[in-house]
Amino acid sequence: MAWRWITAAIGGYGFAVAAAMLAARTLPAAGPLARIEATGWPMILSFLVYAGIGLWSLHDVRLGRVGAVVWGGALAMAVLLKLLGVRP
Amino acid sequence: MAWAHGWLGLIAGWILFTMFLTGTSAYFRPEITQWMQPEIRAQSATPAQAAASAIRHLSRIGPDDLQWYIYLPDERTIATRVFRIPAKPDPRARGGEFDLDPVSGAPLIARETRGGEHFYRFHFQLQLPHPWGRWLAGLCAMAMLGAIISGVITHKRIFADFFTLRWNKGQRSWLDAHNVSAVFGLPYHAMITYTGLITLITMYMPWPVVMNYPKPAQFLQTAYGTPEDVPASGLRRPLVAIAPLIADAERRLGGPATRVIVQNPGDAAARVSIALAKRGAISARTPTVTYEGATGRFVSRSGDPASAIETAGVMLGLHVAQYAGIALRWAYFVLGLTGTAMVGTGLLLWTAKRRKPGAAPFFGLRLAERLNIAVIAAFPTGMAAYLLANRLIPADMAARADMEVSAMFWTWGLLALAQLGLPARRAWTMVFGLAAAAWAAIPLVNALTTTRWLIPALLDGDHLFAAFDLACLAIGIGFAVAARVSARPAARTPRRTRHPLEPAHA
Repeated sequence: MAWRWITAAIGGYGFAVAAAMLAARTLPAAGPLARIEATGWPMILSFLVYAGIGLWSLHDVRLGRVGAVVWGGALAMAVLLKLLGVRP
Repeated sequence: MAWAHGWLGLIAGWILFTMFLTGTSAYFRPEITQWMQPEIRAQSATPAQAAASAIRHLSRIGPDDLQWYIYLPDERTIATRVFRIPAKPDPRARGGEFDLDPVSGAPLIARETRGGEHFYRFHFQLQLPHPWGRWLAGLCAMAMLGAIISGVITHKRIFADFFTLRWNKGQRSWLDAHNVSAVFGLPYHAMITYTGLITLITMYMPWPVVMNYPKPAQFLQTAYGTPEDVPASGLRRPLVAIAPLIADAERRLGGPATRVIVQNPGDAAARVSIALAKRGAISARTPTVTYEGATGRFVSRSGDPASAIETAGVMLGLHVAQYAGIALRWAYFVLGLTGTAMVGTGLLLWTAKRRKPGAAPFFGLRLAERLNIAVIAAFPTGMAAYLLANRLIPADMAARADMEVSAMFWTWGLLALAQLGLPARRAWTMVFGLAAAAWAAIPLVNALTTTRWLIPALLDGDHLFAAFDLACLAIGIGFAVAARVSARPAARTPRRTRHPLEPAHA
C-alpha cells in the first residue's frame, strides 16, 4: 500500500515532469514565439497528466503493471531526454 | 476510485479546509486591510494624481534610489503602495515597503498591521518557511485535483443526487451535503484548483524551460516581453512630470493605470514602465508601456504574448479574481465558502461513516475526529481572534502586527489542545460556541474601540465598515447554529431504506 502511494505521488510527479519536458523538447518550434508555445503548453497541461497517472496508479489492481508503467515510463523518458539534449 | 477519493480527501482535507477558508477571505484582501486600519479615511485620487504625489515624496527621500515600484490605488485599495530599492541598503529600515496618501503623497500614519495580506499569504504559504509552505500547498492542491476527478467518476448518479438532501439521517445527510456543496460549485472548484496550481507553475513545473532554453532566464524575458534593463548613465537628469506619461499610457493601453516602475530615477537613462489596471482584462498579466524617464519619450509597448502565456495569465486572473466587479466578487466568495463546505462535509462524512454504535472508536477515527474539531471549529475561531486583536492591541504599540498574527495561532493552538479535555461531541459544541462568540464579538469590540462601527457606518454611508460588521455577525450566527446542531442527540442512520434497490454507493 505504501508502495502504491509512493508510486502515485512521487512516481506520478516524475512521470509528468518527464512527459512535459519531452513534449516541450520534441514539439515543432520554428521561431521564438513557437518555442514559447512548445514550452508553455506542456507546462500547463502537466498537472492533468500527473492527476491522471496518479489516480490510475491508485486504481489499477495490478501493482506490477502500475510500477512498470510509472517508474519504467519515467526512466525511459529521462533516458530519451538525456540523448536528445537541449534544443539547439 | 471511491477509495482513492476518500483517502486523498481525508489526508489533504485538513489543510485544504484552511486553504479554502483563507483563500475565500482573500477575495476581500484590500477590504480587510482597510477595516484593520480604521484611522485611514478613503481619499480618492486619479491614477495620475497618486503617481505624481508618490513620485514627489520619493524624489525627496530617495533621489539616488535604484528602483521605485508604485502601486496606484483603485476603488478598493485606498493607499498608494510603494516599494523602493535604495542605492545603499538601509539596515535600519524595515523593508522598503510603505503606504502613501494618494492625494498628498505623505506616508500614511495608521496602526501597523498585516491586514488581509496575512490570510492571503497563509492560503498558499501555510505559515511555513519558503519553499516548504508552497510545496505543501501545491501537494494538497494536487490531492484536491485528484479528489475532484475521482469524485466525479465515483458519483455515477451525479445529476439525480443533485436534488437529494435527506435531513437528520446521520451519515446519509453528510453524504448529501457533501454531494450538493461539491456538485453545486463543481465548475468553480475544478477551476479554482487547477488555476491555483498554475499560479505557482514556475515553481512546480519549470523543467520544460530547461529543455528549450540554454539560459532559462531567456524564457521569461521573451515570454513577458520585458524591456532590457538599461544601466544608469551617471548623468543626473530630473524625472519628467509623471501625469502626462500616465495620461499617454492610459490612452495607449485603453484603461486606467495601476503599476508604475521607475528605474534609475534622477538619471539620464531613467525608465518608466506603466501597466494597465487588472480591472481592464481577465488576464492578470496586463500589458505595459515604457518611456524614457528623463525625456518622456515613448520607448515600447509589451507585445502580444504567446497563447500559452496568455492562457496562463487568464488562469491566474480567474484564480485571484482581481478583474471581478462587486457582484461577481461576492459570487466568488459564496462559491469559495461552498468549496470550504465541500471539504468540511467530506471530513465529517469520513468519521460519520466509521462510527459504529456500541463499538469503541479505533485510534484513526479518534484522531480524525479531533483533527476535524481543530480545523473546522478552532481554526475559524483563530481567524476571528486575529481581527479582534487588531482592535484590542493599542494602535501605537510596537510589533503589533506580529502580535495580531500570534493571536490567531495561539488561539487556534490552545483551542485545538483544550478540546481534548472534553468528549468529542461536547468539544464540538464548546468550540463552535466559542467561534460564535468570537465572531459576534467583532462588531461589538469595533464599537467599543473605534468610531467606525455599525450605526455610524450605516449613517455615514461607510459601506465597507457596515458590511464587514454585518458579515462578522452573520458568521457568528452561523457558528451559533452549528453549536446548537452539534448539541442535538445523534441522528440515527435508518437500517432499511424505503428503496431497497438503491445502489449502495459511498
